[in-house]
Amino acid sequence: MGWYYLGGITLFFFIVQVITGVLLLMYYQPGETTAYESIRFLTTKVPFGWLIRSIHSWSAHLMIISLVLHMFSTMMLKAYRPPRELTWVSGYLLFLLTLGFGFSGYLLPWNKLAYFATTVGTNIVASVPLLGNWLLQVLRGGQDVTINTLYRFFAGHVVILPLAVVGFIGLHIIFIQRQGMAPPLGAKVAPRGMKFFPSFALRDLLLWLACLMVLLTLAVFLPYGPGIPGMDWELGEKADPLAPAYPGIKPEWYFLWEYQLLKEFPPHLFGLEGPQVCLFLIVIMFGIWGLIPWLDRRVRRDKPSPAFSDFGWAAILFLTYLTLLGWDIGAGGASDELAAVHNSARVCALWTLLAGAVVILVRYWRYEHRWFLLTGAALLQGALHGLAGLSYLLAGVISVVLAAIGIAVAHVAGSRTDRRSET
Amino acid sequence: MRTILIIIGALLFSGATFAADQSGAKPDPKLTEMLAAKDENGKPIISPEQQTYFNGLNDNLRELLNQAVKKETITRPEHLAALLALQLRPQKMELVLQNNCILCHSDSANHSADTLFSLTPASGGASSHMNLKEVVADVHFRRGVSCAGCHGGDPSADLGHDHVKEWPEKDRAKNREWIVQFCARCHSDPTFMHEFNPALPTDQLAKFKESPHGRTLLEKHDSRAAQCVSCHGVHGIRPAKDPQSKVYARTVPETCGACHADSKIMAGFTRADGSPLPTTQLAEYRLSVHGRALLGRGDLGAPACNTCHGNHAATPPGIAGVSRSCSLCHSANASLFDGSKHKQAFDRNNWSECAKCHGNHTIAKTNDLMLASGKGSLCGDCHREFAKDNPNCIATADYFRGTIKRIDEARNKFSVISEKLAAKGLDVEPISNQLTELTDGLKKSRTHIHSFSRDTFQQVALPAEQAVQNTAVLVHKAREEYKYRQFGLAGSIALIGLLILTIYLKLRRLEK
Repeated sequence: MGWYYLGGITLFFFIVQVITGVLLLMYYQPGETTAYESIRFLTTKVPFGWLIRSIHSWSAHLMIISLVLHMFSTMMLKAYRPPRELTWVSGYLLFLLTLGFGFSGYLLPWNKLAYFATTVGTNIVASVPLLGNWLLQVLRGGQDVTINTLYRFFAGHVVILPLAVVGFIGLHIIFIQRQGMAPPLGAKVAPRGMKFFPSFALRDLLLWLACLMVLLTLAVFLPYGPGIPGMDWELGEKADPLAPAYPGIKPEWYFLWEYQLLKEFPPHLFGLEGPQVCLFLIVIMFGIWGLIPWLDRRVRRDKPSPAFSDFGWAAILFLTYLTLLGWDIGAGGASDELAAVHNSARVCALWTLLAGAVVILVRYWRYEHRWFLLTGAALLQGALHGLAGLSYLLAGVISVVLAAIGIAVAHVAGSRTDRRSET
Repeated sequence: MRTILIIIGALLFSGATFAADQSGAKPDPKLTEMLAAKDENGKPIISPEQQTYFNGLNDNLRELLNQAVKKETITRPEHLAALLALQLRPQKMELVLQNNCILCHSDSANHSADTLFSLTPASGGASSHMNLKEVVADVHFRRGVSCAGCHGGDPSADLGHDHVKEWPEKDRAKNREWIVQFCARCHSDPTFMHEFNPALPTDQLAKFKESPHGRTLLEKHDSRAAQCVSCHGVHGIRPAKDPQSKVYARTVPETCGACHADSKIMAGFTRADGSPLPTTQLAEYRLSVHGRALLGRGDLGAPACNTCHGNHAATPPGIAGVSRSCSLCHSANASLFDGSKHKQAFDRNNWSECAKCHGNHTIAKTNDLMLASGKGSLCGDCHREFAKDNPNCIATADYFRGTIKRIDEARNKFSVISEKLAAKGLDVEPISNQLTELTDGLKKSRTHIHSFSRDTFQQVALPAEQAVQNTAVLVHKAREEYKYRQFGLAGSIALIGLLILTIYLKLRRLEK
């Protein structure tokens, strides 16, 4: 039942973001000579300014963590099944908007790290066929990342995105209020839940207060983040558009998997540019994720859909492996760059396999799951790439083909069993 | 209609003319033949790179090549290949093609190894100073003073070997005295030099005559002594600012060391006091702070041999000269020393000022231990031997050492603390400002020990000590601020905890 509270926790972090965001806005001045300086002034001279910025940053990351957990728990519990498809879609859009919040807010302090990460990040849209360059100009407000980019990111971060998010949160909550929370799969009649007020609301409040405690503690003891790459907001040096980009520029942790996937693609593939193919693949993956309520046809008939449960776990393992690679886990101590990449792939694959094994065992014993084809494919890709040394894409193709064959065989066998049981 | 036709016609005509211009001067048939020639294995003698270079030549250069072929100064494809392989820029190529000396002396069919210009003299067996690449890079060649400028003759005439009169007919290599006068024909003539390089001095010969090198060569007639070509080279002389020059700052130690680090060449040379001239200077210099800065880090501000000894008037600095050389860069230290009591004591004992404590070629990085009064320390040992009657001096050395040590230790300690405080999210900018002041004060204090006076030293040490105290206060404040944050957090958490407990109890009561 604990999963039901994750949406509320995400909402709590959003409220914290709004409050601290408004407080930051009282001192923040967008501009070439003021953006960095005003944040510096805020964190060093303004009483409790450091705390507000620290809470805003921590809360942003915690909000994304709770949002992702909320989304995956909804996915695993199949709460998206009719009539709640639109609740899923509104939540899915909220997820995309939140990523937009993270991306736009990152540039606002106008420091070196943010400047280069935004340059690299915005550059990805240039790969969109035909419209790429136009989109890049719209996003950046020019050909390069300049102060004009900051102005539009600022407008997006404090006006456009908040309005959109508030709208969708309203919609999301209206859906939940009208349809109630999704009952567990297979329950013919919805179990009689607790009353929203006071029982659920007070429990939510308790959790919110606990979250506030954690948030405050983290903000005071680790004011610049936990020191993990992609989760670090020390102001550092001011952005200098004329300075050369330095090596090792990485995005925030929640964009790391896309960054790593782009790196795994060769410059050219199928007569297209590698990043174009990768972007296409990422769009397809996001599309599938948004359309899950309609793709999962078994659950629409109120039947268990083990393949989609497995799909959720496979997605988690797929993202885990790429994120670990993006963090260069295990790359230290290597003599050269190539050795470092191989070492890192091996260590990341081992960690992912370990996590996968735990997931499969727990699912097998605790939840009596028997469908592991997609999880197996995700793990096989990690093993082929990290341990056997195949290229990431080849390993992916082999895994997907094997999984497809497995699904086809399982489907044929399944329909035979169904027919036999019907006769 | 007719107007349009005329315009089109004119455009076509001008286009055709333009296209014809692009095709360039037509090569002489012999030249075309040479360009297409093949060796006995059937491989083209002119390589593709050389062919590409030829195709890129302008009309003027093609015409000069045509003429050279017509006049038969270039007769063989191998000779043409050697010239094209130089890949010279147009201006230089023009000089080469107008110079019959180079054209003739670069044809291996006409010349033996010792008079043949070659691209690879070592493998061709030619003399090493006949490297054609070096000759065309020579500053004299680039400014129009080519072969004839030194050797005489007329480079535009077909043949001419009339050597200039200063050029000795025999024993040129054994007796080197003629060289200085030879170079000085131009280099001591201000009017002449002004036409080429107005910034270049013309007093080299006058200085050289007064130098030990000059006296050894011109008065003692010892041709082992360095003269112009020993340092500047012969063919391939470059300006001192050119990194390939033999007298470029980073190369000077090697150039001087070619003789001064060679015990065979230096055998028999003595100092003023009659002791043999050492040959360890280069090795010592390489290990010194100056050598490591210049040769290791490439810091062209660091001194090479000539910075202290001079160039054309190179000479060992005398007792007073040493400090004057050092003060060229270390002016603050020198000025403080000049006003100190040590100045008179050093003068009385005829000690060279800076070198007495710091050495000359071996100057090592200074450290604060030099100031100590114990055995093995610089101040202590010297004073025990020469100034036993003055216990104040030892106390002053101890005071200097103690103060500098305190400031240095405080700086190191506060730097670490400042980093830790910054990681905790505290504002360390005021601490950093004080640390900058502290570091500045420390540097000044280390300089001001050269006054050997407590009062002068204190003028800079006291502000540094004040900065130490200020930093300590700021660090204390920052720590207090951190404690305040922790207490604030604990209070907030207690309050929130209380609220949680109240709500929990309320919830339980409601649900019962």
